[in-house]
Order: sequence, then structure tokens, then C-alpha cells
Amino acid sequence: MEIKYNNVTYVYNDKTPLKKVALKNINLTFKEGKVNALIGTSGSGKTTLIELMNSLLVPTKGEVIVDKDVISAKSRIKNINALRRKVGIVFQFPEEQFFNLTVKKEIEFGLISFNYRISEKEKRISDALKMVGLDDSYLERDPFKLSNGEKRKVAIASILVFNPKIIVFDEPTIGLDYDSKKNLIKLIRLLKNRYNKTIIIISHDIDFVHSISDYVVLLDNGQVILTGDKYDTLGNPDVLKRFNLPVPKVIEFSYKVLKNKGIKMGYRDDLNDLLKDIYRYAK
Amino acid sequence: MENIIEFKNVNFSYKDKQIFKDFNLNIKRGSFTSIIGPNGSGKSTLMKLIVGLYKAEGEIIIDNVLMSQETYKEIRGRIGIVFENPDNQFVAETVMDELAFALENMNYDKKEIKERVKEIGKLLDIESLMEKEPHSLSGGQKELVSLASALVLKPKILILDEAMDMIDNNRRADVLNVLTNLNNLGLTVINITHNSEELLFGDSIIVMNGGEIKDQGPTKELLRKEKLFKNNGLELPFVVDLSYKLKYYGLVDDIVLNMDELVNKVWK
Repeated sequence: MEIKYNNVTYVYNDKTPLKKVALKNINLTFKEGKVNALIGTSGSGKTTLIELMNSLLVPTKGEVIVDKDVISAKSRIKNINALRRKVGIVFQFPEEQFFNLTVKKEIEFGLISFNYRISEKEKRISDALKMVGLDDSYLERDPFKLSNGEKRKVAIASILVFNPKIIVFDEPTIGLDYDSKKNLIKLIRLLKNRYNKTIIIISHDIDFVHSISDYVVLLDNGQVILTGDKYDTLGNPDVLKRFNLPVPKVIEFSYKVLKNKGIKMGYRDDLNDLLKDIYRYAK
Repeated sequence: MENIIEFKNVNFSYKDKQIFKDFNLNIKRGSFTSIIGPNGSGKSTLMKLIVGLYKAEGEIIIDNVLMSQETYKEIRGRIGIVFENPDNQFVAETVMDELAFALENMNYDKKEIKERVKEIGKLLDIESLMEKEPHSLSGGQKELVSLASALVLKPKILILDEAMDMIDNNRRADVLNVLTNLNNLGLTVINITHNSEELLFGDSIIVMNGGEIKDQGPTKELLRKEKLFKNNGLELPFVVDLSYKLKYYGLVDDIVLNMDELVNKVWK
């Protein structure tokens, strides 16, 4: 399912004194079936860019194409529910939007406008819970009494219940401790590998992005600066530093070895790989 | 050095669930303490008890004042708090008014308000945001404004409750360096976090889990305890984790808290 931005500009409060250009002439195609990461400093336009994807915002100029739907100022989407079934967005602190007294009702809520049969609804709810690693024993539990990690999973299940092909996570690691973050990484890998979802992640947690992403888009001041696989983007500390972005710790260590000692080690994905390299070069 | 925060045999329950049982805590005046623990360990409840948002059994003494119905307002006036979700705190239409708001309530004269707001804007590098509407800012910018609102009152104790989650890593290090400088000038800082990288800032660490203090001590001493972190579902900061493993291979003889230093120790 294609997600393409053609010459997209977005202006908040256009034609008012509070006018603010958030995105300028964006041309971009996300990779299907991959984990795509959007990185950039605070205020670079990341959240605006994803809100255009399911027509929460409409481009001031240009068009966003999702599958066969075209989102632009000229052609309004006729069936917005169908579009939102294709693109599920998990916003920051999604669990803060809970208002039902059971997990089942919380997940079911989003299905109300879709007129599914009761038996199909129940199967979908159960499947969505299974995808996030929770079983049916959670159905009648009070969502407000779950742990933070479990709450986040229920919030994600309430998006997965539509079975969207594209899932967007906006700052998914905020508020999560180490164990919950590890579980989230497993879940995202599962969604990509087993369920063949296209994942788009906005995160300022560069080590999390490095551990999970296949394709990276760097935004700065409303413009796309760089796109590519993570080796070409996150593995390039000079570019990240130029745009005031942090460098993944594994990469930063190799970079310092090169700068301070003149030793060039290879690209390494995680600490254990790095460790072997250090042992080899230092011994 | 004397304690600025003391909990003596504190018991506290919330909605029939006991969070703290015979809980004791000491935090030194002028220290920079990081409190780390998994979700649900009682960190945020602890903060709410320190500022008198909840009432508990036992003694809570803040800055030599025993917490009570009569004293909690006085105590709160000495503490700056930065919460994890800054959206809930903003009341004014511009960042400048937001920062001036609390000072106006405390009847400072206009000249001093202007000076303090200017000073804090410069300190946190948010001068360019002064005319903006707080709710229009990005998550990280909101957190900086929230921190500025707490610091502008010149508190004796500053408590951050997972307050830097949305700030970019680079900027976070800058903010933590500013807080280190303020700490050197006498401000007691308590940083409640689940981000292990933030532990590299400050002079002491408290590890909490299940409403108990699992360990407390100087930063480097605590970071040497790999099992303490592992057993409580916590991560070590990257450079500490790496140096711990390199120590096993005999490439360094102790953990290191700085990446440049680690590179220089491995390749002498």
C-alpha cells in the first residue's frame, strides 16, 4: 500500500497573523512492509507530517497519496472511515484517552461506526489483544488498573482492531520503562514480520530508532533533509550532528574511536557486536 | 551535610493499595539525586508526598519543617516541581506570561519579574519562544517552558518527575548540565526518571521498586552494582554497560562514566 507525499506544504493558520509554515514542499515515499522512522528536532514538522496521512490535516499545497486515496485541498476524501481503517495512528500517551470501564469496551469503541457483526467484532477484539501479547483474560479487566506497559498495549490493540495496513506510532517510548520498551520493540518486529504491516515511527529516542528501523527520514525545519537505510543515515554522525540530532550510542563510540585514535571500526548494530570489534581492535 | 528531605516510618495507601510501608528516606541538602525505578515503583507517589499533595502517616520533614495541614503550603513554596505532562500546567497565552504568572501571584514588582523571566529564558535557551503560545509548542519545548516556570521562582528544591522524556537527547544533556550548575550554586535537585542515561548526571542515585528503596548511594558506587539494576528491571547507561563488559575482558579495570574517557582507557 503506497504512501507518497507529492510537493506537500502545510501552513497552520494560513492567511492570518499567526501563520506558521510547518512543512515545505515535501516529496517522500515510505517503504512498504518496513519500519520507517521519522527523526528531527522538536518542532521540525514530524507530527504534522503524519497527521496529513489520515486526513486529520489537509495539505495547504500538494497531495498525499495513501493507496488509492488522494488527500489534497482540491479533492476531499469521500470515505474518511475507509482511509482511517488503512492508517492507524497511535498518538503520544494513547492510554490517557481511555474512558471505558473494561478493556473489551475500550477496544470495541473504535468499531462502533463500522457496523461489524457481533461475532466478527468479538473475534477482531480477541485477535487484536493477541497481537499485542495479551490474552482474553484481559477483556473484562479495568484498563485504568493495568500497568503502564499493559495500558500502552491495550491502546495499540484498539488501533490494531481495525486491521490497518499502516501503523503510525508517535513517540511510542515516552513514559515506558526499560522492560516495557523491550516489549514494544518485540511487538513492532512482530507486526512487521508476521503481520506484514508498514510501520512509521516518530521518535526522538535515537537508540530506540536505531534498534528498530529499516528506513529513516530526517526532517529539519519542515523539510526532508535526508532519506535512506539506517546505515546511511543513523550511521552518519556528521550529518546527525549538523542537524543537532543525537547519535546512536553504538555509532557514537565507533565515531569517537575514529576521531580520537584513528581506528576505523565497522558499522555495528548493537552493544554485543561492538564489544567483539573493540576486543579485536584493542587487543 | 544535613538532610533537606526526611521520611520517618511513613505509611501510605492509595485506593486501598498500600504503596509505602514503614518507609524511610534521607536526601542531603545541596545534593543532585536521581531516583530510578520501573513503572509503578512508587517514584511519582514519593514526589507527591514530598510536596504535600497526599497525606501520609508518619513524619515527613522538608527543609526542617514537619509536613502538616498548617505547613504544607509553606513547604510547597520552597519546592519547584516539573511534571511529566506539561500540557496540564499552562494557563497563560504566551510563554513570557506563563513564566511571569507565578511571580505576579507572589507580588513581585514588574521590574524584577521582567529580569527574572529574561534570566531564565537565557539560562534554558528559550528566548525565541517567549512570544509563543505554550500549547502551540512541541513536546520538548513545552517541557523546557515547564522547567523554566519552576526555576523562575528560585526554589530551594527542584523535583523533576520524568520531566525530560520528550526533550531531544542532546538538549536533555544541555538541560542536565544547567541543572548541575544550579546544583553547584546550592539548589537541591531530585530527578525522578526511568531513563538510565540521566543517571550520569548528579551525585547520588536511589533505586526504587515496589514501594521500597532497594539501594541508595553515590552515583559511581551504585552504577557498579550491575545485578541491582538487572534484578529491578533497569538498564545501565550505555557507557557503564559497555565498560562493565570490557572490564570482564580485562580491557578496563573499573566502570567509566564518560565515553571519551572509556576510549582513552581502552586504547592507552
